[in-house]
Amino acid sequence: MNRLQKKAWINLAAITACVVLTGMCLGILVYINARGFDSLLVGLVPGLVAGLVFYVRSVSEEAKLDEREKTIARKSFVWACYTLTLFWACASFGIFFVAGGKSVVPAYTLPVVFLAGLFLAQFVESAAILIQFARETADE
Amino acid sequence: MSSDYLTNQVRRLRFEHGQMTQQQLADKVGVTRQTIIAIESGKYAPSLPLAFKLARTFDVPIEQVFQYDEQET
Repeated sequence: MNRLQKKAWINLAAITACVVLTGMCLGILVYINARGFDSLLVGLVPGLVAGLVFYVRSVSEEAKLDEREKTIARKSFVWACYTLTLFWACASFGIFFVAGGKSVVPAYTLPVVFLAGLFLAQFVESAAILIQFARETADE
Repeated sequence: MSSDYLTNQVRRLRFEHGQMTQQQLADKVGVTRQTIIAIESGKYAPSLPLAFKLARTFDVPIEQVFQYDEQET
């Protein structure tokens, strides 16, 4: 297992932890009907910090990869971007079509859609890296 | 990423150069062993700089390392 594969596995584990942690925080915020930027920030700090740490780590590790690994990483990033765009588009228009143009949706819907998109993109990026390596190994 | 019409003699050249291992070749050209495996099996077409590095490691022209079949394009 090389650096990129290890990074992908760690990312998958971290994403799962972040989803659970941030989901719990957001659930509490919604339950107590918290409002204001401070409460939102405090509630989402674990997820935001974890995301920042992994972003900085992935940027610093990019330099250590060889050209083939960089190609795989770049391709996976593109897939993640497509997924993110598609998810946000589907979520935005989906709410419109399901609830109707004049309906009111709960305020937590927006951060949930935003965060779910980010987590999904990270998941797809990590999974794409692992799938590409697995496909090469399977054919050997 | 695969190279359907690109063949190479990396494996043969490694053996002709004192049974060089994939790891030794990878260290010489600055890539991982998995990349050498992918190149040898034709699943990855290396960049021009890497192709030249491989050719220079074996001390042969690049055409002796990589062959491109134009008829299949």
